[in-house]
Amino acid sequence: MNKCKEKLMHGIFLVCACISAAAVAMICFFLFANGLPAIREIGTADFIFGQTWKPLENKFGIFPMIIGSIYVTAGAIIIGVPTGIFCAVFMAKFCPEKIYRIMKPAVELMAGIPSIVYGYFGLMAIVPAMQNIFGGSGKGMLTASVLLGIMILPTVIGVSESAIRAVSDSYYEGSLALGATSERSMFFVVLPAAKNGIMAGIILGIGRAIGETMAVVMVCGNQSILPDKLTSGIRTLTANIVLEMGYAADLHRDALIATAGVLFVFILIINTLFSILKNRSSDQ
Amino acid sequence: MKTKRAISVYAAMIITAGTLAGCSGADSAITVISREDGSGTRDAFTELVGISDDDTDNTVETAEISNSTAVVIQSVIGNENAIGYISLGSLCDEVKALGIDGAAATAENINNGAYKVSRPFIIAVREDISEPASDFTEFIMSSDGQAIIEEKGYISVSDKGTYTPSGSGGTIVIAGSTSVAPVMESLADKYKELNSGVTIEIQQTGSSAGITSTIEGACDIGMASREIKDSEIKQGLISTVIAMDGIAVIVNKENDISSMTSEQIKSIYTGEIVDWSEVLYE
Repeated sequence: MNKCKEKLMHGIFLVCACISAAAVAMICFFLFANGLPAIREIGTADFIFGQTWKPLENKFGIFPMIIGSIYVTAGAIIIGVPTGIFCAVFMAKFCPEKIYRIMKPAVELMAGIPSIVYGYFGLMAIVPAMQNIFGGSGKGMLTASVLLGIMILPTVIGVSESAIRAVSDSYYEGSLALGATSERSMFFVVLPAAKNGIMAGIILGIGRAIGETMAVVMVCGNQSILPDKLTSGIRTLTANIVLEMGYAADLHRDALIATAGVLFVFILIINTLFSILKNRSSDQ
Repeated sequence: MKTKRAISVYAAMIITAGTLAGCSGADSAITVISREDGSGTRDAFTELVGISDDDTDNTVETAEISNSTAVVIQSVIGNENAIGYISLGSLCDEVKALGIDGAAATAENINNGAYKVSRPFIIAVREDISEPASDFTEFIMSSDGQAIIEEKGYISVSDKGTYTPSGSGGTIVIAGSTSVAPVMESLADKYKELNSGVTIEIQQTGSSAGITSTIEGACDIGMASREIKDSEIKQGLISTVIAMDGIAVIVNKENDISSMTSEQIKSIYTGEIVDWSEVLYE
């Protein structure tokens, strides 16, 4: 009887495990089955490096979008990572218990806010601020970077904090015993020791930033041009898909799926980096 | 040579205008807001105003792109120097609709042909349409249905007689253009009052997605704010024009301009006019 139950549960677990693997496999298949023929029809070089995106005139160059995605993500890293790491350091080592009890749930709540709400916040708060400071429409690379920088904070803070906490206290105490100040011990001993975990947090943050869609589409202006200044409008890969999917037909639609394929490759690269780092940190 | 000279004269004019306007010149640079490629509203607008010719869309590359009417309105409300365009039926009091070539953007002016920027709203069905869906399209084309269309600020196109409830039941799934959806919802509400046994589900997916799901059989009626493409008709679709819709060119309420020529609008959207001062003092 028990053995029977055992076998049944074994089967159920197997099915559950297969569902997620099958989902990934099917998404992969769907993206490349639809996307690859489109890329072949457009021409790989014309698709990846073409600078004009005019789908109705059969010009499908996504280079401005690739650059857009990279720039915005880089901007988000510049803004979000230092803020996130310092916040994690504060929360792990210097934060009084009372404040921690408020801060920890606040950071966790940030991760749960839907991205469309962030987008609306960006449209109502950050865009007018940018209009006042820089003139123009207020939508563009800088605005999107600031918003994404805020959005990746919970990921960076959460992972970094647990990485810092995982560093054995003897490192910190040893440094203090050698005469270093508390801050110096923190930044030159504990942080380097937590390096791999923090890097993992940053990479997860990059993943979130590059894949973000609804918030970005509301604040980046969505022009498919190569940006020439910080405030100039850009379009990301994700924005390109969500903007035009509703109205696209024929090759245009397939080109958008191919765009998703390119994005998928980016995410694959990021995840591979993440697992390499994770393996390295568990080896230590 | 001539064009080169024209360009340099034009450039000189811009520089002079910019210098004269001083620092404040940068403040009134026009923020051009357009819709995404493939949008029914964009297709109709660019063609009617002359921004696109021979299937080439000449919208200036620096134009901001929004993928919904709501975001266009929000952007215009939030930016004194913005200009955008939306469906006339979606017009609200928080923005100002410009008159074009001397005609105000009203249903009446569209009807008598004075306001030229208008386009058809279309529904598409398969040949093997279901009974309740067929009855619903009959209702839309009847004088009762067309009255609702007029009430919502669109222009009626049909004067078939009144509609007699058939008492049919079942579910009708409608999908497509976000521009057509608001009026479709009003039509559905009225239809459900008349035929209590019917459930109507409206999905706002965009024109092309709506047409595709109609072809695939995922929905009964597809809504489009653009003409149906030949490739789509070949797959067995029947399309019907249910209403005409104007496209309103909107600006911020703080903007002094209340009317423009279609030539000026074209120049703004093709990037020839980049500053409001060029419109004001023309």
